[in-house]
Formats: sequence, structure tokens, C-alpha cells
Amino acid sequence: MQPKMRHTLIALFLLFPLFASIAAAEALPAGDEIARRINARNEGEAVSRHVTMSMTDRGGTERVRETKGFRKYFGKEKRIVIFYLSPANIKDTAFLTYDYPEADRDDDQWLYIPAARKVRRISASDRGDYFLGTDFTYEDIRKETKVGIEDYAWKTLGEETIDGHRCFLVEQIPVNENTANELGYGKVQSWVDAEIWMVRQAKYWDVAGNPLKTSQFKDIKPIQDIWTAHQLISENHKTGHKTVFTFKDVDYGRNVKDEMFTEDALRRGF
Amino acid sequence: MLALAGWFIAASALAAGTLEDVKPAGEDRFRFSAVVETEGAYGIARDRANKLEFLIDPQLEYRFSEDTRFTAIARLYAEGFDHLEPGQPGQREIASNSRRVLLGDRTDMELRELYLSTQLGKAHLTLGKQQVVWGKADGLKLLDVINPQNFREFILDNFDDSRIPLWTVNAELSLGKSNLQFLWIPDRTYHLLPESGATFAFTSPLVVPQAPPGVAVDLRPIERPKNILTDSDVGMRLSTFWHGWDLTFNYFYHYADFPVFFQSLSLAPSGAVVTVSPRYERNHLFGGSFSNAFGDLTVRGEVVYNTDRFLLTRNRPDSGGVTKSGEMSYVLGLDWFGIRDSLVSFQLFQSWLLNPTSDIVRDTSDTTTSLLTRRHFLNETLEAEVLWLRNMNEGDGLVRPKVSYELRDNMKVWLGFDLFHGTRNGLFGQFAQNDRLVTGMEIGF
Repeated sequence: MQPKMRHTLIALFLLFPLFASIAAAEALPAGDEIARRINARNEGEAVSRHVTMSMTDRGGTERVRETKGFRKYFGKEKRIVIFYLSPANIKDTAFLTYDYPEADRDDDQWLYIPAARKVRRISASDRGDYFLGTDFTYEDIRKETKVGIEDYAWKTLGEETIDGHRCFLVEQIPVNENTANELGYGKVQSWVDAEIWMVRQAKYWDVAGNPLKTSQFKDIKPIQDIWTAHQLISENHKTGHKTVFTFKDVDYGRNVKDEMFTEDALRRGF
Repeated sequence: MLALAGWFIAASALAAGTLEDVKPAGEDRFRFSAVVETEGAYGIARDRANKLEFLIDPQLEYRFSEDTRFTAIARLYAEGFDHLEPGQPGQREIASNSRRVLLGDRTDMELRELYLSTQLGKAHLTLGKQQVVWGKADGLKLLDVINPQNFREFILDNFDDSRIPLWTVNAELSLGKSNLQFLWIPDRTYHLLPESGATFAFTSPLVVPQAPPGVAVDLRPIERPKNILTDSDVGMRLSTFWHGWDLTFNYFYHYADFPVFFQSLSLAPSGAVVTVSPRYERNHLFGGSFSNAFGDLTVRGEVVYNTDRFLLTRNRPDSGGVTKSGEMSYVLGLDWFGIRDSLVSFQLFQSWLLNPTSDIVRDTSDTTTSLLTRRHFLNETLEAEVLWLRNMNEGDGLVRPKVSYELRDNMKVWLGFDLFHGTRNGLFGQFAQNDRLVTGMEIGF
């Protein structure tokens, strides 16, 4: 073999891993595309479900709330209502939100407080506030399994396996400081199932860059042909507090009435 | 009331006949729950402000379907010191079929609520003894006047506990984004006012006529409206959601829940006597409310016009010690959520008399403010708040710092103070000797 050709082959051999990695990276969908696929996933026009919310503090003390929740799309606008069924001292508390598709429009939120028997309008701007003592934020509750595409710069980092499923690892950085402060996150990493486009795990860092919490979406199975997570777990690394949402009686076929998503329905309870 | 009971039975039958196909499973048809609460108060300035109360509220629900349910809530109440309602209160303000059953001086039982709630097409009916709450204000009431209140603890008690449920026909009609509500209230029950000698008995000249020194007072029994039809209250509310605003327009034709103290002066052989004849008077209420959110701020308010306010005057002989005036009132509230897990809430209440006379005891305009700061800690298990109510006319007020902690899943404990300030002329200042330390516990199951 002539020296020139030998050098060429050696160079190609040395560069092969680089080409291979570039090729592999190109095979991965872009972060924006993954976010778009997550939000394009069918989650039914409406759903009803029973949710058990279990909250455990660092000392092991557990609080359990039984709730009934409904979600319905009105065009592109998503409405969610949650009624608390027990324990008795917070029974009849109810939460209603209108999640608008326009990025520049604040959502509308109401909370029914049974002790006052009044529906209170609550601010929707502080999306990073934790929802009624859980480790999920109001934004998490509103988005459910969807994501805020416009809130983050999305970047695909690679592929990993979660619970035996091939996932894309995506890094999300809030688009600006104000958004980061609103969401309460400085960075998010999400593991997105490469086949069904659901987030299976997410890690969150606070705005100062410290590890904040880890969320997991478990027991994912199809209900009426719609992939549904039946257990959501969120563990706050700062406080040691942990929340588990367990879903049952999930029904996408039920006729969920429009009137369910009104102030008056909050008052009447479920 | 027999007629109401008949309606109730008829509506139950109707509801049973219109069961939806979505029926709860057998174990979900019955829901039983109860709240047990005990609260003690230590009078800082005098023993009379001491309190040791215990109450249990069992609640039973039976669900015919997801749209039709029957609810019954009872209450057993006991208070150890017997200072809030000394002896056995006469309950003359309460309709006979809505009164509590007194089990001695310190214990009573009450049917708090008993209603059937059902959906009939676009209409929603709630029939029976219930609470109906209007308005957006906290702490002071402009639109929240459908149900009268037990003033056993002035305004210190939770409104849900102090509000007196009424036998009511409550019909709501859904009109897309709007809702039209009709109320018919044949229950002739009014505010339950503490009797003389009770810890929170009213003494302020703003609400209680003052006899001149040396003049005897003959307080006659309250004259109650008698006719179940012509003396019932009726109300209407249109609520709607318009461009982000929650709006209501309200009308209520009712007997005002405070009696009017008509007075007459006479000469008896023993000397001068003021005869006080309390009577309930009619009023038309026209009002509305609004709320919206703007970033971290929510704005809410109420505007109310009352046609017939009866006000105490200093001039007794020729007018019965009372004059009538229209009154405009509003409350504007701002809730700021700008700090995580926190709320700062400010409210401004103002009212004006539209036909004032020079001898009215109260001022022509009256202003009260409230400031509430609240913060949650430890995933909302710990809550700290301070509420300050202040009347600008009299310079009196009430400060209520409180800390509550969710000790267990269904158990909450709290510690706080009720601190009044001002002179005895003011609604708050009249209780300046009733400052107290309060602690309590609530268990739900």
C-alpha cells in the first residue's frame, strides 16, 4: 500500500467515530420537534378521573386527598376542574382553570374555599407556585402531560433508557429570566418516550442552578387508545417532600358537560 | 313550611324520576363525613371573654346520580362558660321551624342544612335549608346578605359557622356563559343578636338606642313578619364571564336582618319611660360584583344600593328615633400574589347615606379598611396571617394575628389573638374589653 493511501485510510479510521456521532446526532429529532410531538399527542377531547393525592414530608407524615378531576378542550382552550372529596376538613375545595392557547394571554384561575363559601379569583401569573401543598406547580397541573414550548429553548442531548423504554433526553432552558422566575426553574431535563412522545421523567433545577425536584410518570398504559400515566411522582430535593398522584377510573369517552367548568359548578361541588 | 316540605318531597320524586345514566357505584352513593372542632378563648382583659366550645358537624350525602344528591348537615354545639349566649336564648329572631333545640344552657343541636340538589336540563335546583352566598368581599358584607348571621361572637366566628341557613328555593338557569339565579325564601329568620349580658352584646350607640340618664326603658318583643308568602324574600342574580371579568348583577327584595328600634317616650307614674319596639323593615337591594386578574394582582369589588336603610337618630319624639334613607355602598379589594406562597389583600369599604338628616347618629359617609397578609410554609401545612380591620370614622378596629398548622392528614390546630381597639362608640371599639387569646383544634373524618 502506498504511503499516501495508507495515511488516508488511517485518517478515515480516526475520523470514523466523529462521523458516526454526527450521523447519530443528526438522527435524533431536534428539541423543538420533540416538544411539538409531545404537544401533538392525542389526549382526548375530554376526560374524567379520580385522583388520589398523597403528600409525604421528610419525617414520613403522609397527607392524602381524594379528588375528582375533569378536563375538556373548548377549541384550543383547555379547561380543568378539580373537586376535593376528602378529608372532611378540606372537602368541597375546588379549583378551576382556563388555559388559553395564546402565549401572551394569562390563564384564568378560580379557587372555591368552602370555609368562606366563595369562589376567589386567583392570580395565574406566578406559575411556579406549588398547587395546594403538592410538589406540582400550578403550571404542571395546567399543562398535565403537555409542555410549554414557548417558555423554553429546547435542545436534544441524547438517548437514554427509562423503565426499559427508549427515551430522548431533552434539555430545556427558560427563554429569559422573567420566565425562569415565573416557572421557578432555571433548567429542566426531560426524558421523552421515543415511541409514544410522553415524558417519563423530568429533573428540575431552581433559578440558582441547584437541583430542585424530580418527577416521574409511571404506569403508562393506553385507555381508550390514549396513552395515560396512572401515577405521577414528584420529589422535592430541597424539602424532602414527596407527592404521588394516583389516577383511576380514567374515562375519555364520558360526556363531560360544559357547565362543569364554571364558577357555579365550583360552588355546588361534586 | 308545610308547603316547602311538600315541594321538597315532590322534587325528590322528580329527581328520582330523572336519574341520569351516570350513576355512582353503590359504595359511592352514601358519603358520610364529620368535622369535630374545639376552640378555647382566654379573655386577656376580663374573664367574660373566656370561651370553651365544642362542636361536631356530621354530614350525610346520598347521591341518586352524579347530578342529583341529597345533603344533610347537623350540628351539636356545647360551650362551657355560657358567656356567649347566657342561659337559654329566646331565639325570637329565628323562625320557629329553624330554631336550635336547646339541651340546657350550654348545649344545643341544630339542623344546619337539608337540601336536594338536582339538574333538570339547563336548570339546577337546590331545594331546602341551605346557605346562599353572594359577593366578593371578605370580612364585611354588602352582597352577602341572603342568609342572616349569628352574632354570638360578633364577626369573629367563621362565616360558614355563623351564617344561619334558610329554607330556600334556589333555581339556577344556565345561559351559556351566563347564569341566572332565582331565590325564594319563605323562611322568616333574621340576625341572631346576643342578648344583654352576653360577651358580645351590642352596646354601640350606632346600633343600639341610648336612653337618657334616669329614663326607664321598656323593650318590647320583636315584631316579626307573619305571612309566609307576602313576607318572604325574593332575589335574582345574573352572573357572567365577560372578557376575563367575573360579573354579577344582583337584586334582593327582603326584610333587613337587623331590627329597627322604633322608640316612643311616655310618662308613667314612676317617671319617664322610653318604649322600644323592634320591627323588621323591607328593603330593595340593587347591586353587582366584579373580579379579574392582572398579573400578580386580582381586583374584586361590589357595589350596592339599598333603598330603605333605617337609622337611629338623636331626636326621638317626632320620628320614633329613626329615619329612613337610601344608601350607596361599595367595596374595592386588591389581592397581590407577587411573593411566592404569600397573599397581601387590601379592601376599602365605603357607604353614603343619600337622604341624611342632621340628627342621624352615624356619619353620612362611613369608611372601613381591611388589610390581610398571609403566608404558607412547609407545603401549606403551616399558615401565618394577620388581619386588620379599621373603621376610619370612629378610629376603632380589630387585629387578628393567627398561626395554624396541619398537624396530621385531617387535623389542624391554631393559635391566635382577637385584639379590639377604639372607644365604646364604635362597632369594634365596643368590644375593647373582649381581647382574647384563641386556640383550637379541628379534626375531619
